[in-house]
Amino acid sequence: MEWTFSLDNINEVAKEFWKAADGKKVFAFHGQMGAGKTTFIHALCDAKGVKDVVGSPTFSIINEYVYDCEGTKKALFHMDLYRVKDEEEALRAGVEDALFSGFICLVEWPQKAPGIFPEDVVHVYINLINNSTRRLKIADN
Amino acid sequence: MQFMPVTILAVESSCDETSASVCVDGKILSNYIANQTVHEKYGGVVPELASRAHMQNIVPVVDAAIKEANCQLKNIDAIAFTQAPGLIGSLLVGGQFAKSLALSLNKPLIAVHHMQAHVLANLIAEPKPSFPFLCLTVSGGHTQIVVCESPTSMKVIGETIDDAAGEAFDKSAKLLGLPYPGGPLIDKYAKEGDATRFKFPEPQIPDLNFSFSGLKTSILYFLQNAGKSNLFKEEFTATEEEKKEFINNNLADICASIQHRIVTILINKLKKASIETGIYNICLAGGVSANSGLRKAFEEAGKKYHWQTFIPAFEYCTDNAGMIAITGYYKFLAGQFADLSVSSTARAEW
Repeated sequence: MEWTFSLDNINEVAKEFWKAADGKKVFAFHGQMGAGKTTFIHALCDAKGVKDVVGSPTFSIINEYVYDCEGTKKALFHMDLYRVKDEEEALRAGVEDALFSGFICLVEWPQKAPGIFPEDVVHVYINLINNSTRRLKIADN
Repeated sequence: MQFMPVTILAVESSCDETSASVCVDGKILSNYIANQTVHEKYGGVVPELASRAHMQNIVPVVDAAIKEANCQLKNIDAIAFTQAPGLIGSLLVGGQFAKSLALSLNKPLIAVHHMQAHVLANLIAEPKPSFPFLCLTVSGGHTQIVVCESPTSMKVIGETIDDAAGEAFDKSAKLLGLPYPGGPLIDKYAKEGDATRFKFPEPQIPDLNFSFSGLKTSILYFLQNAGKSNLFKEEFTATEEEKKEFINNNLADICASIQHRIVTILINKLKKASIETGIYNICLAGGVSANSGLRKAFEEAGKKYHWQTFIPAFEYCTDNAGMIAITGYYKFLAGQFADLSVSSTARAEW
């Protein structure tokens, strides 16, 4: 599954992303610094109806948001392993608890601790095409 | 009738640092931050994220803070702790410690929001801002403009929709190949550089919110083009060698130009906030307030726009328990206590 998006259609692509990823929980976002991982995750959270302020979790490691899912409040974890050295550190920061919580997890810089992810993790790739456009790809499992 | 002094013991454990502080009648007597030798093991590069480190640190740190303040546990009137936001495992250590101590001493418990405490760090020492005041809180994880009406009444009127200002500094440094944390290095090189030499775009974000991710992308392109453009241009694509050479030959000017842009983004929004609210008492808070470019621009804007400006001492700008203690003191005076069922929360909501 592949899309190209810019800030003009990012919200539509976010909605299509959730349709395509129906039922999946853990998403690992790959892309170089400046590719737009946080910006796209912001749009994904908006599409889910998250009202919390969505910002970069680079320093906090784990941001916890809440959204309304058919009348019940559910947690959504936005994580960033940029500052994490390895699986051991990720584990101690509580990343594994979130990944296996059953709630949706959107994870930036997953390559810092690849061994910590569940088997059914969905890998997502964001690449720069030009100034305003990005390519988004969900990897086939 | 003579009033008894109010003594607050505070603990902070929301992220990397374990800290404890004692404050009597709003005066900080000790502000002890754990000397995390565990950092050295990692070459001072990766912060210790473990709640385990907080568990090892909390008792000795509290003990040191009490001793330094020349105080005794029996004289403490209330225990304040950071309830939110932060890493849940880390928050829980401070939270459980504070609750257990409150229960055993039979003293009230005060739950403090970390971001409100950053703002109230401005009330620690004279001169203090009068109310209402605006506060720009800038750190590695946060960038907010807050209106503070009183010590117990404040509101966020602007914040970042992506990266925090401190993160913008550190990640720009990373793109330049500087070691982590690169923010202070950008500040250092910027002092020798020409801030007008390279132009980076100011994001068009409505209201009082901030965005720094676009700047990061434009720096990325700028370096890929070896400075010929900060837009995506295939024809300018530089080799890794050319890129490195360009950075080496122009490091001071690049750092000065990047710092200038980050600082103007912050100051322009602060100006807008002052105009919109009609408030001229303006404070800085958070670790990035140590940046010399930001301090200079803040003081200059103050002179130009007739602001009364305030910046807390640096030890109260990074994560510290002194700011939790001062916030706890004002909550004590307002009678805002928590019961033992209060839980720590990772969420940033106020």
